[in-house]
Amino acid sequence: MKNGPIFFLCLLASLTFSWAGLALASHRQLSAVAPYYDVAEAKAFPEPMSGIAARGQLVYQDLGCASCHTQQVRRGDLGNDLDRKWGTRQSWARDYIYQGRPQLGLVRVGPDLANVGARLTSAADVYKLLHQGTATMPAYAFLFSESPAGAQTGAIAVGQVDGRQVVPTRRAMDLAAYVLSLNSPHVYGPEAAHNAVKPAAEEHKP
Amino acid sequence: MSSQPKAIISESDTTSRGPLALLLVSAFGWLILSTVLSLIGTIQLHTPSFLASCAAFTHGRVEAMQESAFIYGWAGNAAFAVSLWLLSALGGSPLRGPGLLATATAFWNLGVTAGVVAIAAGEATSIPFLQMPGYIQPLLFVAAAAITTPGVLAWTGRSTDSTYASQWYAVAAIFLFPWLFSAAQVMLLADPVHGITQTIVAGWFSQNLIALWLLPVALASAYYLVPKLSGRPVAHYQFAKLGFWALVVFGAWTGGRHLIGGPAPVWVPTVAVVALYLLLFHYVIVAVNLPAGLFGWNSSTTLRFVAFGLTAYLLNGLGDVLASSHAINELLDFTYFSVAQGKLLLGGAFSFLIYAAVYEMGPRITGIPWPSAGLIRAHFGVAALGTVVTVLGLAFAGWSQGHALAVTANGFAAIAAAAKPGLLIATAGEFLLLGAAIIAFIHLVRLQVESCCSESVVSDSPAKSAT
Repeated sequence: MKNGPIFFLCLLASLTFSWAGLALASHRQLSAVAPYYDVAEAKAFPEPMSGIAARGQLVYQDLGCASCHTQQVRRGDLGNDLDRKWGTRQSWARDYIYQGRPQLGLVRVGPDLANVGARLTSAADVYKLLHQGTATMPAYAFLFSESPAGAQTGAIAVGQVDGRQVVPTRRAMDLAAYVLSLNSPHVYGPEAAHNAVKPAAEEHKP
Repeated sequence: MSSQPKAIISESDTTSRGPLALLLVSAFGWLILSTVLSLIGTIQLHTPSFLASCAAFTHGRVEAMQESAFIYGWAGNAAFAVSLWLLSALGGSPLRGPGLLATATAFWNLGVTAGVVAIAAGEATSIPFLQMPGYIQPLLFVAAAAITTPGVLAWTGRSTDSTYASQWYAVAAIFLFPWLFSAAQVMLLADPVHGITQTIVAGWFSQNLIALWLLPVALASAYYLVPKLSGRPVAHYQFAKLGFWALVVFGAWTGGRHLIGGPAPVWVPTVAVVALYLLLFHYVIVAVNLPAGLFGWNSSTTLRFVAFGLTAYLLNGLGDVLASSHAINELLDFTYFSVAQGKLLLGGAFSFLIYAAVYEMGPRITGIPWPSAGLIRAHFGVAALGTVVTVLGLAFAGWSQGHALAVTANGFAAIAAAAKPGLLIATAGEFLLLGAAIIAFIHLVRLQVESCCSESVVSDSPAKSAT
């Protein structure tokens, strides 16, 4: 440790090595992942996020929804994510290629939202959750505003207070669009082949 | 008490007094704020409606503010202060540019304040440990570079060729932080990588921020204080070098530990788990080197802080390995158990080792002993109890939550009910931690005020009657 330059060089090399090994190597591997074109459906998956959903992701991000919800379905042998119907398969890296900032999350205070768009069918379902809350989620009153009953707001009213209708704000509408866009049921060919379980007979061939 | 060495007030201690005092007072101020936010966040976990009508206090924003205030406010300021002081004191070289250091410290704290306010206003990035918006990060980077430069100069300009373990850890922390910080800013904020790569880079950054910046400073403090306070040299010192490089080399690869079973390529978490096992080598060496610290419970109060910190550090290392096993990961992943682990590492290991360093350096940079021995003992007692109660409460909540989650028929109302007792215990612990932070802050401010009022330089031991 007496030789200062070599000491600093070794420190920097250790950090650079881990950066190259984790950040650069994964970037090299995953930057090659592109939308998968399904010939049978004549369509590429996953589908790009709409503009309003992309704005909604910013709302999701700034409210810190990821501190209570994950967006990743674990593989079948790890936990009961599939049994809970949070998805029909585990999440793959390809599912996130259109997400500006993937919100994988670390704690499940509430349910996983990776495929919540398959469970909630309309914006009204999302507004109801946001306006009324649940046992584990508070009501987000600041995402709603009041307007005179019968006023043409272009938004779905979620209730009435003193004769005035409660309607979602622009941010609530964006957030609902984002939440409803979260759904990746498609089975991509390469991942399916890579993760396929080999038949037992084949595995035991000499 | 008799083992406490006489404090020698050197030039290297007194010339840096102003900026180091500024760093320390700022650090403890941030600790109070982050503890208040942590308390709010924990209450919201069992009472979701608490402050929920205010957008600035949604649980997500409170968590992001708390994390930023803790990491960049408390831990950052304290890590800078302790590493600079150690490098200056051990190198026998006064810190250069105290004016620049004080100015940079002011800008660092200005940046963190702006960042926390921006998060409350809804501009969080949602990247763990990098929550403050991108437009504030360059200010923090420049301020950090200016703060750490005197430390590197104190190392290169040291009066002796030989170096000591504390210096390796301290200089590694302040040298690597700007590289790590800038790499993350470029890859996550300035020109972000796409998709899951972003999550992997964020994991690499957050894990290294702890393993290569904060923990080395805490260990530098331990390697400095244990022989000094116990009067016994570092045992088997020849292995200390291996322990240091084991942390730097293996610790840097543990970034994918939270991605087990997720959408990241399988090799990423696999490498992280292998690195966690290899890190056991580092923990063994720390335990072999510092038994006088680990078992220093019956010695001075300062050494008790070290004993608590080292015990938490080793327990956390063991816990990391156990939590990465398939069965435990399956049960406890995505639960409050990981929050408990974070509290044990940062609130237990890091913070206690830093408290010990602060109690040692306070009198040396001010020239007077700590005003009250009772307040030091009270700080230790309340902080230790608060940390144990919080960590056990969260671990119990995580354990209950994991078991409830594993039953598919359980809805989230039932899962929340299962976790509630543990969360209530953790809330009590957070109240204690808030009390401990306030005690430490008041004591530090009293020290600074009394040192300003007193022109006499005390050459006796710090808190001679206390420690």
